[in-house]
Amino acid sequence: MALFPLQANFRGDFVVLLIPVDDGDDMSIVADKVAQHAVGLRVAEKSAPKCVYYNGRELPSSMTVAQSGIQPMDWIEVAYV
Amino acid sequence: MPKLQRRDYYDIARDMNWAFSYVGEDEVFPEELSKSFGIHGEQWWGWDEPYKLTYREYVHNQAGKDDGIYSIRSTIARSNLYDNLDAGWKSAIKAHYGAIPVPEYFASIGEARMARFGRAAAWRNMATFGTLDECRHGQAQIYFPYCLLGKDPQFDWAHKAMHTNEWGVIAARSLFDDMFTANDAVSTAIQLTFTFETGFTNLQFLGMASDALHVGDIEFGALISSIQTDEARHSQQGEPTLKIMINNGRKAEAQKMVDQMFWRSWKLFALLTGISMDYYTPLESRTMSFKEFMQDWICRQFMDQFKDLGMNVPWYWEEHFLPELDWVHHAYHMGVWFWRPTVWWNPDAGVSAAERDWLEQKYPGWNDRFGKLWDVIGDNVRTGQIEKTYPATLPIVCNCCHIPICSPSIGKAPRITTHNGRKLNFCCEVCEWVWKSQPERYDTHLSIVDRFLAGHIQPPTLEGALQYMGITPDVAGNDAQAYAWNGASRLAAE
Repeated sequence: MALFPLQANFRGDFVVLLIPVDDGDDMSIVADKVAQHAVGLRVAEKSAPKCVYYNGRELPSSMTVAQSGIQPMDWIEVAYV
Repeated sequence: MPKLQRRDYYDIARDMNWAFSYVGEDEVFPEELSKSFGIHGEQWWGWDEPYKLTYREYVHNQAGKDDGIYSIRSTIARSNLYDNLDAGWKSAIKAHYGAIPVPEYFASIGEARMARFGRAAAWRNMATFGTLDECRHGQAQIYFPYCLLGKDPQFDWAHKAMHTNEWGVIAARSLFDDMFTANDAVSTAIQLTFTFETGFTNLQFLGMASDALHVGDIEFGALISSIQTDEARHSQQGEPTLKIMINNGRKAEAQKMVDQMFWRSWKLFALLTGISMDYYTPLESRTMSFKEFMQDWICRQFMDQFKDLGMNVPWYWEEHFLPELDWVHHAYHMGVWFWRPTVWWNPDAGVSAAERDWLEQKYPGWNDRFGKLWDVIGDNVRTGQIEKTYPATLPIVCNCCHIPICSPSIGKAPRITTHNGRKLNFCCEVCEWVWKSQPERYDTHLSIVDRFLAGHIQPPTLEGALQYMGITPDVAGNDAQAYAWNGASRLAAE
């Protein structure tokens, strides 16, 4: 378990953010950590599941950061499904 | 004894050029400070400019102008004119005062370098006046806000800002160091005087002076007008330098320098002037949108220059620059407002119902891209959830322009690349091109996010970042209108 900085933005927001996650976090937790800095602050909240996109593909919600191949300070996008 | 007419003596008295015999040209004009671009000696001696000013005239004219602006300052100090200015306009001048006066001193270093290492006597003469201009501009633009310190501590940042690591200051200092504080004489003439001053600030100062008078800020208007007339003169060092480069087969090198610095200047210009024009200037005082100003003044000016001198428009003009006119400063504005504790002025949201109508009219699609984000912010203000209108993390900044990486559309990734094992982030293809065109010049400079990740900012929290940036509670920005825009916005929606 180690701190793992990412670049991320929530789809529809206007800016890329520095988001610290943990390499043991799964994608549902990562999505929540990104959303926490955008949804309900600037992006309208929806009751819908969220997913993480990396290199153009959607990552399974149960996959951890360590399993995903994401490197520190890589860019991910989170969006409502 | 009858006096000679100036035209009879000026050129011969000014043009003290000679061929060196006791020392080599490289010793008089070291490449690092002067940079020949392979153009040597007498090839520079035809350098000329139209003003042909004497030192006696300079002192006489400038003393009169300085008397004028300091008299206005002294008179206005006894009135309540400043107190009655719109809060948004106060934000615009505070942003200006933090970003510009000390860099005017930096510019005097660049001018002094040209006054010593410029490759023609006529040029060195002109640059000597430029050095004096920039010293005076620094002094006046620090003195005026100093006189307002009793009314508002944020004016302290007119002097303090450039001595801090505030994020916008890092962006501005990076640009100004690149352009003139740490640039050789020939490149400074092309990049500072031709590109930045002729292209941007000369026209911007005309516009700002006009806006100041519209909002009733006579003091700021007089100050900026006075400075603009000096800018118009000393910016003339660029064109003759450029012509000599073109005539000696160095058009490609000159074009590249213009392209690099136009882009870098544009990004900071969008941040400072774009926001001020479209959000901080009171709606009733706006004569044109920032986009219209850019199209009618800056773009036309550059197009004319490119055409007149046989230069090309920058390679990124159609694909990158013109599209950014529609969106980039709106994104910067939202960022500055949301991260408002990190700036030394109080950002005016500028999104009342009437202002939103104006924005949508000037920038069709604004409501869909930015208005709906402001809707969420407005809802949080209305429901008393102010804590949701503040940031809890840093934005990623570009390693070239040092401004947060914003997106014009959904799903647009930042450009991530590596150089000698170092991971770099760029907001766009052009910033990446600028950086990669001189990696040895930029590689040791760390962005504020790099510094955060390297542990320079302690504690590694937003509070630690504010402390690192030198922001104290008495100057940390807050909403300029105490959220009054929000009520107006809601009434319109209802």
